[in-house]
Amino acid sequence: MPSVTVEPADPRPLVDGDVVVGSRCTGCTRPDAWQRERCPACLGVCVSERFGPGGIVWSSADVHLAVGHREPPFTLAQVDLDDGPRVLVTVRPTGEVPPGTRVRIVGTDDGDVVVES
Amino acid sequence: MNPSIVGVGTSAFGRFPTARIESLAHTAIVEALDDAALRPGDIDAAYVGSVFGPAGIANRVLAGVGLAGIPVYRIEAACASGTVALHEAQRAVRTGMHRRVLAVGVEQLSVVFDGPIVPEPTDPEGRSGLALPALYALQANRYLAEHGLDPAVLAHIAVKNKFAGSMNERAHLSGAPPSVEQVLASRPIAGPLTLLQCCPMTDGAAAVIVGDGTEGGVPILASSFVSGPAWESGSDEPWSMRTVSAAASAVWEASGRGPDDVDVAEMHDAFTIGEILTTEALGLAEPGMAGRLAAEGVTALGGRLPINPSGGLLSRGHPLGATGLAQAAELVWQLRSQSGRRQVDGARTALLETMGGGAAGVDGNACVVALLGGDR
Repeated sequence: MPSVTVEPADPRPLVDGDVVVGSRCTGCTRPDAWQRERCPACLGVCVSERFGPGGIVWSSADVHLAVGHREPPFTLAQVDLDDGPRVLVTVRPTGEVPPGTRVRIVGTDDGDVVVES
Repeated sequence: MNPSIVGVGTSAFGRFPTARIESLAHTAIVEALDDAALRPGDIDAAYVGSVFGPAGIANRVLAGVGLAGIPVYRIEAACASGTVALHEAQRAVRTGMHRRVLAVGVEQLSVVFDGPIVPEPTDPEGRSGLALPALYALQANRYLAEHGLDPAVLAHIAVKNKFAGSMNERAHLSGAPPSVEQVLASRPIAGPLTLLQCCPMTDGAAAVIVGDGTEGGVPILASSFVSGPAWESGSDEPWSMRTVSAAASAVWEASGRGPDDVDVAEMHDAFTIGEILTTEALGLAEPGMAGRLAAEGVTALGGRLPINPSGGLLSRGHPLGATGLAQAAELVWQLRSQSGRRQVDGARTALLETMGGGAAGVDGNACVVALLGGDR
């Protein structure tokens, strides 16, 4: 089996400053955290759209395991961006925040989307 | 054809890093063949579930027990790989394609990971650090907030299943069951989930032989396989619930039975919150009530509806590709009254459910629900 040293493409959402650069379907209006050409729901044509910086926490959890470069504890959250998609983010400062909490994207940390409450 | 399970077998479950992965599977397959009083030449096709097994594992496993020259399919559906193998085996028989089909699941996690499963780095959420305990912890915190519940409701699931597992000599963790306080005081892993609320990393194998009903066996009344729909922004339901509900609805419709007909169930409790969400998604408990049913003993051995009498994934362990078939084996033993000290009295109809894995934006990769037995 040949070994490779190529780093696979980063699959995380693209962040520009404090917004996620995703896309929206021109047919069904479904928002997506990624820049898609066609909508996964209806195959309609998608156009680029910027989401955030604001959003609402759906849930969050402190993680007490080392995962990749992240040393425990760190906090992950699912956030519904305003009129946008649900995205997985890192919460700063570390600590769980209740569902319904308003948060704001403040940038990235080694590619992870970071929010503050 | 009306498919039925004519033979089951499993390996022991635990950490066996020095064993050959084939030997784990051979133990399970030989037990299933002996149980069915069949020889390898009686098997028409085989479906092999494995997630992290090496390339070629299906043919390597089967060739070692004389099962060469038949159609062989490898299935990967995350934690539901073995259950999807069973679903496809029964479908092959139900449609008349084959008469006797073997479903096998095998996994040797101890040679793949030093610790927990490493999230898949090419998946957006995996790359963002979403280890599986964290995925379930997010659901747990949402569920507890939604229903105004204390984390102790989660701990009751661990206590219940580890009590049952203490009576399962094949289980990975069969020691004395902990108290609720001990579960809550164990090492924090993610959100409200502590170490004793997480399944162990387990090696093992399980096998089920499906026949066409002309040779007896435990009837498979219905089986449903649903892959996860998109999990969209704005959805209030915790991850996986819609997928489990859809699979269950299909089984109720196909069998003409319902939740009230179930005497015993094995379901996906990789983490305590998993059993709670699944119990409710299957319609076996009202929303917000599954933890209380465990605390009150309703879903414990001796209760009205025992759930995970094998000890579940929390005790038996979770050898991913083998898990669904180990669940099926337990239910077959229950329906035959062969479960010894953990026997559910009068068990006639059994429900099987396995939920498989996560991919970014999808409400679970795969869910299988099956209804077994059914004597009225």
